[in-house]
Amino acid sequence: MLFLKECKKVLFSLTFFVYFITVLAIYLTQFQYDGREALERPVPGYNDYGMVAKEIPEIMMPAAVESLVCEYLSGSFTAYPYGFVKYVKLTENKKMQLAKIISEVSGITAQELDSFEGFEQGGYYMDENGYLFYQEPVIPKITMPENLTYEHFRELMKEADRIIGGGSKYSDEFIVGNFSLVPKTYEDALAEYEQFINEDKITTAYARLYCDYLGIDLAILPVFVAVALANLDKRSRMEQLAYARKISSTKLIFTRFFALISVMMIPVVLTTVLAGNLVNNLYPGYAVDSFAIYRYMIGWLVPNIMVASAVGMLLTEISSGLLAIFAQGAWWLTSIFAATGGLTGRIGRFTLVMRHNNLMKRDVFYAQWENVVFNRTFYTVISIAGVALTALIYEQKRRGRINGLPFQIDLQNFKRQSKA
Amino acid sequence: MDCRFRSIFKILNVNLKHNFLPHLFISLVIVFFTPALFGIASLNAREAAQPLERLLSLVGIVLLVPIFLPEQNENIRDLIRSKRTDYLAVCMLRLLYSVFFLAAIIGVFTWIMQCRESEVTIRHFVGGFASALFLGSLGIFFAGLCQNTIIGYMLSLIYYIANFALKDELKGFYLFSMSAGSFTEKYWLLGGSVFVLAITFVLLKYIRNS
Repeated sequence: MLFLKECKKVLFSLTFFVYFITVLAIYLTQFQYDGREALERPVPGYNDYGMVAKEIPEIMMPAAVESLVCEYLSGSFTAYPYGFVKYVKLTENKKMQLAKIISEVSGITAQELDSFEGFEQGGYYMDENGYLFYQEPVIPKITMPENLTYEHFRELMKEADRIIGGGSKYSDEFIVGNFSLVPKTYEDALAEYEQFINEDKITTAYARLYCDYLGIDLAILPVFVAVALANLDKRSRMEQLAYARKISSTKLIFTRFFALISVMMIPVVLTTVLAGNLVNNLYPGYAVDSFAIYRYMIGWLVPNIMVASAVGMLLTEISSGLLAIFAQGAWWLTSIFAATGGLTGRIGRFTLVMRHNNLMKRDVFYAQWENVVFNRTFYTVISIAGVALTALIYEQKRRGRINGLPFQIDLQNFKRQSKA
Repeated sequence: MDCRFRSIFKILNVNLKHNFLPHLFISLVIVFFTPALFGIASLNAREAAQPLERLLSLVGIVLLVPIFLPEQNENIRDLIRSKRTDYLAVCMLRLLYSVFFLAAIIGVFTWIMQCRESEVTIRHFVGGFASALFLGSLGIFFAGLCQNTIIGYMLSLIYYIANFALKDELKGFYLFSMSAGSFTEKYWLLGGSVFVLAITFVLLKYIRNS
């Protein structure tokens, strides 16, 4: 049976062996490490339950304005346009535009800003005895206009973010987390824990964490296994022999695809079972949702394997395995870097690597549930479409309409054959 | 002697033209992509290490790992076997020019950062080069021993990914140490690269002879 033959090819390939070991290693070093201790119910009377971002205009507005003035005077703006930190320097024209915004929110005129001397960045510093102390920044006096509404302030901050080039502290995405952090109360911490126990039934939270860790590698490693399989015929000079077989291209390519997915699921299913058992043993006596981790594994991780495999198969057929690896690598890297600014619930409609590296913050994850559903459905459909396209190209190669690497179409021949 | 130089020149010419250009092109794409992801102007020493270590180190994989790639094609392998020129000598030549281009790319990038008023020194060049060379060397080792370039790419990329999570475990072989303010690891990476490359060629020589 063709499916079993293809499965065997994948199973005994060196790339699959490396893939298998890597998946196990990620599980052991990342997820199992995080699952070594159960989360404890918060107890009253602690001084510190952590911080929480809450949208409180009275806290956010002065903090954001002070930061904007400091960054303007230092001449450098910190931003995360693609995930990694970028220090933006503005042109004179953009500085003038920003100075207008600063004037509107701080009462400091552009002239005062540009002529100010003796600027000092505030922050925490260490004294001679090694003690941390906080130093206020040395900047012109800020007087926020009384008639400045919160809505207008947010619009101005959006505009400031646009001038800086996006991804700045003042963007909608980061402004609350940067300038409106308040200490978590016991009640906040307890409510979060209750959500973890009652709504997430423990295992759902762990399922998200498990998928977060494995999802990173499952969005890139399958491309190597797929390319190795697609290259197998070429390496063993069996390509022409395979072309001459009776089987339809669609059946052959889709069988290969499903064989790839099935075999690559082996270590994933294995680690899912291990993860499920680990969590069950960590919280004895609690009512857990035993199937949550399997549901998440199928919905979150399978599309990752599918899309990376489809890219591997399609680009190897169109051009070469090398291009497939670099294309998927570049896509994966961009997605990973874009998530560096925050690993919790940063899920867009087209995010390749979905991240939620947190056992809590269920509400942050479910606030983007529509994106999650769209995202995973989109990648499932696009993978199948990619494999169908691979089958089409394979068929054209079989008929001699497309030849060689990289992607060369013998147009004259194609026209002649089409007419025929 | 003259004949030998002519032969080396011919091998270089053919390899640069037919094998090296696609990889050089991909490397340049990474180089042009880097300033878009990271800022490269007015960075302090630690910040300046980030683009060099986190992104440009990948150029090591792109340029170095494919030194055995042409012979992945069975037809070319058969042809090479029939030639008088030692196959490993050709691979060594490929390695040398790949390392030269790697150094040139990282050198020019570091120089551009300096022109954009970032606090970069020769240490940044050496540190960035060491990380890239080590990643490439690992890929060469696995690609050579497994006779499979895909494995070379795969394992060197896995090592790169591991550096995001296993900083303490990797100790001296941590690729992003300059971004964390330490340069000691770079000596280990440079020494490790030389060792891994030497052992790869010695083992391949042994395998071919036996």
